[in-house]
Amino acid sequence: MRLALILGLGGVLLAQAGLAEELPGDPEAGRKKAGQCRTCHGLNGFAQIPIAPHIGGENPLYIVHQLTAFRDGTREHEMMSVVAKALDDQSIADLAAWFSSQSVTATLPAGATEDMAPEACVGCHGADGIALIEDAPNLAGENVVYIETQLKAFRTGKRVNDTMTGIAAELSDADMNAAADWYAAIKLDIPPVK
Amino acid sequence: MRYLLSSIAALALSTGLAQAQAQTDVPDNLEKLSAFQTTGVTDFTFVEQGGDYAEGIKKNLERIKMPPGFKIELYAVVPDARHMAVGPQGIVTFVGTRKDKVWSVTDRNKDRVADEVKDFAPSLRFSIPNGPCFSKDGFLYIAEQNRVLLFPAAEFFYESPDVAAFNLVKQGDLIPPEEESFNHTARVCKIGPDGKIYISLGQPFNVAPPEKLDLYSKVGIGGMIRMNLDGTGREVYTYGIRNSVGHDFHPVTGELWFTDNQVDGMGDDIPPGELNRQTAMGQNFGHPWYGGGDVRTNEYAGQEVPVDVVMPAVEMVAHAADLGMTFYTGNMFPEKYKNAIFSAQHGSWNRTTPVGARVMVTFIDDEGNATSEPFAEGWIDENGEYLGRPVDVAQLRDGSILVSDDLAGALYRISYEGN
Repeated sequence: MRLALILGLGGVLLAQAGLAEELPGDPEAGRKKAGQCRTCHGLNGFAQIPIAPHIGGENPLYIVHQLTAFRDGTREHEMMSVVAKALDDQSIADLAAWFSSQSVTATLPAGATEDMAPEACVGCHGADGIALIEDAPNLAGENVVYIETQLKAFRTGKRVNDTMTGIAAELSDADMNAAADWYAAIKLDIPPVK
Repeated sequence: MRYLLSSIAALALSTGLAQAQAQTDVPDNLEKLSAFQTTGVTDFTFVEQGGDYAEGIKKNLERIKMPPGFKIELYAVVPDARHMAVGPQGIVTFVGTRKDKVWSVTDRNKDRVADEVKDFAPSLRFSIPNGPCFSKDGFLYIAEQNRVLLFPAAEFFYESPDVAAFNLVKQGDLIPPEEESFNHTARVCKIGPDGKIYISLGQPFNVAPPEKLDLYSKVGIGGMIRMNLDGTGREVYTYGIRNSVGHDFHPVTGELWFTDNQVDGMGDDIPPGELNRQTAMGQNFGHPWYGGGDVRTNEYAGQEVPVDVVMPAVEMVAHAADLGMTFYTGNMFPEKYKNAIFSAQHGSWNRTTPVGARVMVTFIDDEGNATSEPFAEGWIDENGEYLGRPVDVAQLRDGSILVSDDLAGALYRISYEGN
């Protein structure tokens, strides 16, 4: 069990420039704006529906990149493309600050050890599904179908990422099943928001 | 999911990437089950039915308002509960999910509260098995993202982890695999009065783009397909649907009625949701030229509509997300509910003020005119927060109805006690 506490103090350590990621995000302002997210993602970022990922405790930069991509049309989803179109850079920074300020705990299931984690994934997403680099999402507790859908989207080119496009191209369906099974079985906890 | 008592934790974990490679010979256990062989999987996942979690749900149900004489109770705790299929023998109800499980819900002592909830066919790997449906002779069909399985006599064989299973539509044949998506992929199936299976195929976009329309029409994506119960004779029955997640057949006329979820991002109050009535094969219901009702989509604004469009029988409140529905044929409820439609509104996801999260009833007069009104509501609290999100309605043999809820993870039973 490992406790990952990621502080959402806005964009530091930025490699690539983008408007929203240069803006400091305000978690409290983000909380107010998160009303439009909570039906699917939960106010604390713990997903309420299977097609939505958990985003509480995510790295702020990852959230900024994804929301910006949905807004710009470089990533598409029939719901997120609608929502993101209405977000300005400050709102994106605030939402990223709010969700990333949630503390998350990932717990491996009984009998599992970190060396059983899928090799191709652990370098960035961690054995317990808590990301080790800034621009990767946490995978702990995401459901099997969500993870497989994303992997297949990278393989077919529907979703594009410098790292994931190459990795997914090498994965068979069985590899994807196994990776999804591993991360889906990890228990993710995010304390409720008061 | 703290209310899951998992007995198979080790199962999912024994597969690292390397080990999974060795399993590719048998991608899942379907081959074995089709040959009536055992798979070696022996453990079920049981869902705890009592405790704090169930108590919390019961407390929320105290807020639900219905017409006088009706009562709502917790029937079962069922994680991610989506569409339901009540066994023709009345022994077990199968419940789909948008994840990877199908649940079997059993009321052994017939006190109208489930005694046991466990996963169905645990040796199979399901993918978005949202839609179970039964034929009259007890065959269970389960429509997944891109496969339809059939289980003969499921109501009797479900007690074993290994249950005979066969392809009705094999993996990858329901839609072209490159068209697979997660959203708008909650399939629903029902057997029609003609003895064919009708399966809805949502299209994955907010508004379907022009370059996809030919393919979609051919396959039946953004529509409804039907086929014989041996998988032959597949044809597209309905066109111009955005994302239908509920349909049923009128008990007298045999006509197909279905709900359809309409376009997002056009404002809080347009376009209306739809309850549709289809009177002949091949009718078109207007997507993508219409976003719901007679509201034109921005993407196709001003373009001539190349097909004859059937307008909805009922325009529902915008964005309420009308999902599962069933015609009422029971004897328990007052006479006026005979042949009425009970349908679930899942509730809006990005409307400024949430709407929906309730059960609607639709009365149809002799001329076929339909009017809808709320039947059970109260799942949105004073803070605009969801306490539950109804998904589907199904009728039990005693004439009471079940309502599934995928937020609370529960089935409710609504019965009538009279005056």
